[in-house]
Amino acid sequence: MIESRLASPVFTVAFCCTYALVFALNWPLFLYYPLHGDFVWGWRVLQGQGPAIVWYGFMADAVIAGLVASVCLPSRAVASRLRNYLWLFPCAAMVVCVFLLRHFFI
Amino acid sequence: MVAILLILHGLVAAALLGATTHQAMSVLRRGARRGGSFLDRYAGVRAQGFTVAIVLLYVVNVCLGAVLYPSYRLNVRVPLEEMSMAWAIGLFELKEHLGGIGLGLLPLYAYTWRPEVAETHRRDRIALTMILVVIVWWNFLVGHVVNNIRGLP
Repeated sequence: MIESRLASPVFTVAFCCTYALVFALNWPLFLYYPLHGDFVWGWRVLQGQGPAIVWYGFMADAVIAGLVASVCLPSRAVASRLRNYLWLFPCAAMVVCVFLLRHFFI
Repeated sequence: MVAILLILHGLVAAALLGATTHQAMSVLRRGARRGGSFLDRYAGVRAQGFTVAIVLLYVVNVCLGAVLYPSYRLNVRVPLEEMSMAWAIGLFELKEHLGGIGLGLLPLYAYTWRPEVAETHRRDRIALTMILVVIVWWNFLVGHVVNNIRGLP
Protein backbone atom coordinates (compact mmCIF):
# COMPACT_ATOMS: atom_id res chain seq x y z
CA MET A 1 0.00 0.00 0.00
CA ILE A 2 2.75 2.43 0.98
CA GLU A 3 4.76 1.41 -2.07
CA SER A 4 1.77 1.96 -4.36
CA ARG A 5 1.21 5.42 -2.84
CA LEU A 6 4.86 6.37 -3.30
CA ALA A 7 4.97 5.07 -6.89
CA SER A 8 2.21 7.44 -7.97
CA PRO A 9 1.95 8.75 -11.54
CA VAL A 10 -0.53 11.40 -10.34
CA PHE A 11 2.07 12.87 -8.00
CA THR A 12 4.50 13.43 -10.86
CA VAL A 13 1.86 14.92 -13.18
CA ALA A 14 0.66 17.38 -10.51
CA PHE A 15 4.23 18.11 -9.36
CA CYS A 16 5.47 18.97 -12.86
CA CYS A 17 2.44 21.10 -13.77
CA THR A 18 2.63 23.01 -10.48
CA TYR A 19 6.40 23.47 -10.67
CA ALA A 20 6.25 24.96 -14.18
CA LEU A 21 3.30 27.18 -13.21
CA VAL A 22 4.75 28.60 -9.98
CA PHE A 23 8.12 29.14 -11.65
CA ALA A 24 6.50 30.99 -14.57
CA LEU A 25 4.31 33.12 -12.27
CA ASN A 26 6.96 33.50 -9.54
CA TRP A 27 4.76 32.13 -6.75
CA PRO A 28 7.04 30.47 -4.18
CA LEU A 29 5.30 29.32 -1.02
CA PHE A 30 8.02 31.07 0.97
CA LEU A 31 11.41 32.73 0.58
CA TYR A 32 14.42 31.78 2.67
CA TYR A 33 17.07 34.35 3.53
CA PRO A 34 20.18 32.31 4.39
CA LEU A 35 22.22 35.22 5.77
CA HIS A 36 20.18 35.36 8.98
CA GLY A 37 18.06 32.22 8.49
CA ASP A 38 14.76 34.08 8.00
CA PHE A 39 11.65 32.64 6.30
CA VAL A 40 8.90 34.84 4.84
CA TRP A 41 5.64 33.68 3.26
CA GLY A 42 5.15 34.30 -0.45
CA TRP A 43 7.17 36.74 -2.51
CA ARG A 44 8.12 39.37 0.07
CA VAL A 45 11.49 41.05 -0.40
CA LEU A 46 13.22 42.00 2.85
CA GLN A 47 15.70 44.87 2.65
CA GLY A 48 19.15 44.37 4.16
CA GLN A 49 18.72 40.60 4.60
CA GLY A 50 20.97 39.53 1.74
CA PRO A 51 19.95 37.29 -1.17
CA ALA A 52 16.84 35.11 -0.94
CA ILE A 53 16.43 31.45 -1.97
CA VAL A 54 13.29 30.90 -4.05
CA TRP A 55 13.84 27.25 -5.03
CA TYR A 56 12.78 25.82 -1.65
CA GLY A 57 9.46 27.68 -2.02
CA PHE A 58 8.87 26.31 -5.54
CA MET A 59 9.65 22.78 -4.35
CA ALA A 60 7.27 23.14 -1.40
CA ASP A 61 4.47 24.31 -3.75
CA ALA A 62 5.00 21.39 -6.12
CA VAL A 63 5.36 18.72 -3.40
CA ILE A 64 2.15 19.86 -1.67
CA ALA A 65 0.23 19.88 -4.98
CA GLY A 66 1.62 16.42 -5.81
CA LEU A 67 0.68 14.96 -2.42
CA VAL A 68 -2.84 16.43 -2.52
CA ALA A 69 -3.39 15.13 -6.07
CA SER A 70 -2.04 11.66 -5.30
CA VAL A 71 -4.39 11.37 -2.31
CA CYS A 72 -7.47 12.82 -4.08
CA LEU A 73 -7.22 11.43 -7.62
CA PRO A 74 -7.38 7.76 -8.70
CA SER A 75 -3.79 7.00 -9.65
CA ARG A 76 -4.51 3.86 -11.69
CA ALA A 77 -7.22 5.54 -13.80
CA VAL A 78 -4.99 8.54 -14.59
CA ALA A 79 -2.08 6.23 -15.41
CA SER A 80 -4.13 4.13 -17.83
CA ARG A 81 -5.75 7.16 -19.50
CA LEU A 82 -2.40 8.91 -20.05
CA ARG A 83 -0.55 5.67 -20.78
CA ASN A 84 2.68 6.22 -22.71
CA TYR A 85 2.21 10.00 -22.65
CA LEU A 86 3.06 10.47 -18.94
CA TRP A 87 6.71 11.22 -19.75
CA LEU A 88 5.61 14.39 -21.57
CA PHE A 89 4.82 16.13 -18.25
CA PRO A 90 8.38 16.23 -16.82
CA CYS A 91 9.68 16.90 -20.33
CA ALA A 92 7.37 19.91 -20.72
CA ALA A 93 8.32 21.22 -17.26
CA MET A 94 12.00 21.03 -18.27
CA VAL A 95 11.32 22.93 -21.50
CA VAL A 96 9.47 25.63 -19.53
CA CYS A 97 12.47 25.98 -17.18
CA VAL A 98 14.90 26.30 -20.10
CA PHE A 99 12.65 28.92 -21.71
CA LEU A 100 12.31 30.94 -18.49
CA LEU A 101 16.08 30.90 -17.93
CA ARG A 102 16.97 31.91 -21.50
CA HIS A 103 17.91 35.46 -20.40
CA PHE A 104 21.06 34.09 -18.74
CA PHE A 105 22.38 32.91 -22.10
CA ILE A 106 21.16 35.40 -24.74
CA MET B 1 31.55 20.75 7.36
CA VAL B 2 30.66 22.25 3.96
CA ALA B 3 33.71 20.56 2.38
CA ILE B 4 32.70 17.16 3.79
CA LEU B 5 29.14 17.55 2.55
CA LEU B 6 30.37 18.68 -0.88
CA ILE B 7 32.64 15.61 -1.19
CA LEU B 8 29.73 13.39 -0.11
CA HIS B 9 27.49 15.15 -2.66
CA GLY B 10 30.05 14.39 -5.38
CA LEU B 11 30.50 10.74 -4.34
CA VAL B 12 26.74 10.08 -4.27
CA ALA B 13 26.46 11.83 -7.66
CA ALA B 14 29.16 9.52 -9.07
CA ALA B 15 27.32 6.43 -7.80
CA LEU B 16 24.05 7.79 -9.23
CA LEU B 17 25.74 8.50 -12.55
CA GLY B 18 26.94 4.90 -12.74
CA ALA B 19 23.59 3.40 -11.80
CA THR B 20 21.49 5.56 -14.17
CA THR B 21 23.92 5.07 -17.08
CA HIS B 22 23.96 1.28 -16.57
CA GLN B 23 20.17 1.19 -16.52
CA ALA B 24 19.80 3.49 -19.54
CA MET B 25 22.30 1.43 -21.57
CA SER B 26 20.46 -1.73 -20.60
CA VAL B 27 17.15 -0.21 -21.74
CA LEU B 28 18.63 0.99 -25.06
CA ARG B 29 20.42 -2.30 -25.82
CA ARG B 30 17.68 -4.75 -24.88
CA GLY B 31 19.22 -7.70 -26.68
CA ALA B 32 22.65 -7.29 -25.08
CA ARG B 33 24.28 -10.55 -23.98
CA ARG B 34 26.57 -10.91 -20.99
CA GLY B 35 29.35 -12.61 -22.94
CA GLY B 36 29.52 -10.19 -25.91
CA SER B 37 31.49 -6.97 -26.42
CA PHE B 38 32.35 -4.54 -23.63
CA LEU B 39 29.20 -2.52 -24.38
CA ASP B 40 27.11 -5.70 -24.35
CA ARG B 41 28.55 -6.69 -20.99
CA TYR B 42 28.05 -3.11 -19.67
CA ALA B 43 24.42 -3.14 -20.84
CA GLY B 44 23.74 -6.77 -19.98
CA VAL B 45 22.47 -6.13 -16.47
CA ARG B 46 19.04 -6.60 -14.93
CA ALA B 47 17.85 -3.01 -15.34
CA GLN B 48 14.97 -3.29 -12.92
CA GLY B 49 17.36 -4.06 -10.07
CA PHE B 50 18.77 -0.51 -10.24
CA THR B 51 15.45 1.29 -9.68
CA VAL B 52 15.35 1.35 -5.87
CA ALA B 53 19.04 2.26 -5.65
CA ILE B 54 18.58 5.11 -8.14
CA VAL B 55 15.56 6.49 -6.28
CA LEU B 56 17.38 6.37 -2.92
CA LEU B 57 20.62 7.85 -4.29
CA TYR B 58 18.71 10.62 -6.07
CA VAL B 59 16.73 11.59 -2.96
CA VAL B 60 19.87 11.57 -0.79
CA ASN B 61 21.75 13.68 -3.35
CA VAL B 62 19.00 16.28 -3.69
CA CYS B 63 18.87 16.54 0.11
CA LEU B 64 22.65 17.06 0.24
CA GLY B 65 22.36 19.68 -2.52
CA ALA B 66 19.56 21.45 -0.67
CA VAL B 67 21.69 21.60 2.51
CA LEU B 68 24.64 23.02 0.55
CA TYR B 69 22.51 25.47 -1.44
CA PRO B 70 22.54 28.39 1.05
CA SER B 71 26.34 28.31 1.04
CA TYR B 72 26.32 28.47 -2.78
CA ARG B 73 23.80 31.32 -2.74
CA LEU B 74 25.92 33.42 -0.38
CA ASN B 75 29.50 32.50 -1.27
CA VAL B 76 29.47 31.51 -4.94
CA ARG B 77 26.53 33.13 -6.72
CA VAL B 78 27.20 36.64 -5.41
CA PRO B 79 30.84 36.62 -6.67
CA LEU B 80 29.67 35.15 -9.99
CA GLU B 81 27.24 38.09 -10.31
CA GLU B 82 30.07 40.51 -9.51
CA MET B 83 32.20 38.83 -12.22
CA SER B 84 29.27 39.18 -14.68
CA MET B 85 29.27 35.44 -15.32
CA ALA B 86 25.56 35.19 -16.10
CA TRP B 87 26.05 32.00 -18.15
CA ALA B 88 27.53 30.18 -15.14
CA ILE B 89 24.65 31.34 -12.93
CA GLY B 90 22.21 30.23 -15.65
CA LEU B 91 23.80 26.79 -15.86
CA PHE B 92 23.48 26.36 -12.10
CA GLU B 93 19.90 27.71 -12.10
CA LEU B 94 19.04 25.09 -14.70
CA LYS B 95 20.77 22.44 -12.57
CA GLU B 96 18.65 23.27 -9.53
CA HIS B 97 15.36 23.33 -11.46
CA LEU B 98 16.11 20.12 -13.37
CA GLY B 99 17.16 18.53 -10.08
CA GLY B 100 13.81 19.50 -8.58
CA ILE B 101 11.84 18.16 -11.55
CA GLY B 102 13.91 14.96 -11.37
CA LEU B 103 12.86 14.54 -7.76
CA GLY B 104 9.23 15.00 -8.77
CA LEU B 105 9.40 12.43 -11.57
CA LEU B 106 10.78 9.67 -9.29
CA PRO B 107 7.33 8.35 -8.23
CA LEU B 108 6.30 7.96 -11.88
CA TYR B 109 9.70 6.48 -12.75
CA ALA B 110 9.33 3.92 -9.92
CA TYR B 111 5.78 3.16 -11.09
CA THR B 112 6.80 2.47 -14.68
CA TRP B 113 9.50 0.03 -13.53
CA ARG B 114 6.96 -2.14 -11.65
CA PRO B 115 6.68 -5.59 -13.29
CA GLU B 116 2.87 -5.42 -13.66
CA VAL B 117 3.06 -2.31 -15.90
CA ALA B 118 6.24 -3.33 -17.73
CA GLU B 119 4.50 -3.88 -21.05
CA THR B 120 1.68 -1.31 -20.86
CA HIS B 121 3.98 1.62 -19.94
CA ARG B 122 7.01 0.65 -21.98
CA ARG B 123 7.37 3.99 -23.77
CA ASP B 124 6.96 5.93 -20.49
CA ARG B 125 9.60 3.74 -18.84
CA ILE B 126 12.17 4.23 -21.60
CA ALA B 127 11.54 8.00 -21.89
CA LEU B 128 11.65 8.60 -18.11
CA THR B 129 14.85 6.58 -17.76
CA MET B 130 16.43 8.72 -20.49
CA ILE B 131 15.16 11.98 -18.95
CA LEU B 132 16.58 10.94 -15.58
CA VAL B 133 19.97 10.03 -17.02
CA VAL B 134 20.12 13.39 -18.87
CA ILE B 135 19.29 15.26 -15.65
CA VAL B 136 21.91 13.32 -13.64
CA TRP B 137 24.65 13.88 -16.26
CA TRP B 138 23.75 17.57 -16.64
CA ASN B 139 23.78 18.17 -12.90
CA PHE B 140 27.05 16.29 -12.45
CA LEU B 141 28.85 18.21 -15.20
CA VAL B 142 27.47 21.65 -14.28
CA GLY B 143 28.28 21.08 -10.62
CA HIS B 144 31.89 20.38 -11.58
CA VAL B 145 32.15 23.33 -13.98
CA VAL B 146 30.74 25.85 -11.47
CA ASN B 147 32.85 24.37 -8.67
CA ASN B 148 35.93 24.81 -10.87
CA ILE B 149 35.05 28.49 -11.48
CA ARG B 150 34.49 29.14 -7.79
CA GLY B 151 34.23 26.43 -5.16
CA LEU B 152 32.42 26.52 -1.85
CA PRO B 153 34.58 27.85 1.00
